[in-house]
Amino acid sequence: MADHRHVLDGVVDNVRRGMIPAHIYNDNELFELEKERLFSRTWMFVAHESEIPQDGDYVVRRVLDDSFIVTRDADGNIRALFNMCLHRGMQVCRAEMGNASNFRCPYHGWTYRNDGRLTGLPFHREAYGGEGGFPKSRQTLLPAPNLASYNGLIFVNMDPCAQPLEEFLGNFRFYLDFYTRQSPGGLEVRGPQRWRIKANWKIGAENFAGDMYHTPHTHASIVEIGLFREPKAQKRKDGATYWAQCGGGTTYKLPPGNFEQRMRYVGYPDEMIDRLKRVWTPSQQQLVGEDGFMISAASCFPNLSFVHNWPKVLDSPDGTDDVLPFISIRLWQPISENETEVCSWFAVDSAAPPEYKKNSYKAYLMCFGSTGMFEQDDVENWVSLTNTAGGAMARRLLLNSRMGLLSDDRPVVDPLPSEAFHGPGYAQVGYNEHNQRALLRLWADHLEMPVRTAAPA
Amino acid sequence: MMPTEVCTPVGKPLPFNDNRHLQAHQFLVDEAYLLDAQDYETWLDTLTDDIRYLMPVRVTTALGAGFDTSPEMAHFDEDKYSLSRRVARFATEHAWTEDPPSRMRHYITNVRTFACEDDAHLVVESAELLFRSRGDVNEAALVSCGRNDVLRWCGDQLRLARRNIMVDESVLRMQNLAVFL
Repeated sequence: MADHRHVLDGVVDNVRRGMIPAHIYNDNELFELEKERLFSRTWMFVAHESEIPQDGDYVVRRVLDDSFIVTRDADGNIRALFNMCLHRGMQVCRAEMGNASNFRCPYHGWTYRNDGRLTGLPFHREAYGGEGGFPKSRQTLLPAPNLASYNGLIFVNMDPCAQPLEEFLGNFRFYLDFYTRQSPGGLEVRGPQRWRIKANWKIGAENFAGDMYHTPHTHASIVEIGLFREPKAQKRKDGATYWAQCGGGTTYKLPPGNFEQRMRYVGYPDEMIDRLKRVWTPSQQQLVGEDGFMISAASCFPNLSFVHNWPKVLDSPDGTDDVLPFISIRLWQPISENETEVCSWFAVDSAAPPEYKKNSYKAYLMCFGSTGMFEQDDVENWVSLTNTAGGAMARRLLLNSRMGLLSDDRPVVDPLPSEAFHGPGYAQVGYNEHNQRALLRLWADHLEMPVRTAAPA
Repeated sequence: MMPTEVCTPVGKPLPFNDNRHLQAHQFLVDEAYLLDAQDYETWLDTLTDDIRYLMPVRVTTALGAGFDTSPEMAHFDEDKYSLSRRVARFATEHAWTEDPPSRMRHYITNVRTFACEDDAHLVVESAELLFRSRGDVNEAALVSCGRNDVLRWCGDQLRLARRNIMVDESVLRMQNLAVFL
């Protein structure tokens, strides 16, 4: 294992005090270390179960450089199979999605069931001496070392001994449910839209985790054209930001009202509100109904983010200000230290009425994704930041990420007491960068800790 | 007026010296200049009020799968209102993604025009390559696509009533689509 101590010199200590060495956003050595010590043992989102609803459905997804076929086999089990033929290493599936009972390698014709088992081997007897010479019945495509799901979100972990997913997610699940469990049937997702940006993957994750401070400025144009009323002026500082174990996010403070009135305020129809009341716990409902906070953006360490906003997407002749919520799931897939593939899904509750799904999709397209009007301005910033972080001067610059902290590390605003914020973890109102620091602290913890050397399979 | 969804081309492409083809071709070229210049308010006036502007997400699928777009997912799936919001945003002083503006060139080629059963419409196919350069030294980005348009006669003017943009990449290599194609 290479000695990486010098790479981390001056990085982790500064990151922990909220002074971020600018080069971490464009540093090849750090990216190599991220691959070795972070992505090799953390839970990586690959797909949502609703993308492969039928037996035989599959999508092909990457974890860094590794391609996995995420399939639902003939018994309905979800699997993630390393997309490399056992014989000469060809990709056995070169499509992105589809339905197949078998995958046949195009090179020499080895064939695998969609549960990974090797079933076909041309000239098995002549070439290998049949089952006696090479028992094909015991051969399968390599499964992902670890696979688990929560509310239909499928994660892969490259470490077979990883902490179980539910334990890793911990009480961040409380917040994940707002996005991913709005009825017993859960979400259905569409997409993803995929595009590559010349930006480091951490920037998007940090932004979605807690950057309420950028909204009034970066997204000023969105308010001006009447698409989203909430970021107006200083409104964002009234929302709470929370951090719970592996993730955190931002919220908006809603006008007075009870749970139903506040869910209606952001555009949920009554039939959806009835279902929400059946699946969200009393504390989840209290966060909205009593505390008045509505979830907006969030990130789950390391590179999975969510957004829930409620823009005005329909031209109403009577001038009414009807808004409608949408949900997006996005993955900041690292390509290199200065390039990220953004995978952005539209998500909607599977039980939602058709008209709601249609308009929510429209809301998503107008706001986020490859053409989204929010996203356009975000990416411009992130690309510029990444460019600048690659030079020599960036190595002399510590970016100030201490918002919300006084010089003696006491918070500018006290945390919210549990009676004012019914969610787990800690939360506070006001402009701050607590979540960005929390995310980067987890990042620093991973980079500092050497990995066990995995035994060859 | 016949809905644009049922405007199907009739027969072979019109000869290149057919006046209808010449007018459709000119429409596309004039439009490309508007888009290069980001003169989006003028461009908006060249669209019918019932415009459907669609750019599906392309996916790689096995030969014979029967589909090559992501089910129910698009990059653009727009009507006049949503396009007008996008144009209005560019007109604010805070659309940072285009300040400074990109230098763009929309190359339009392989144009062929088809008559429709209904005289009010023409179907026009074209290939498009967008070159987009931002800043001084950033690598320029390209988007290649095929377009299938329905143009409608409104008096003596053609207007765009439907556009289906089939992008040739599954993963776009452009930082955003703060552009029109």
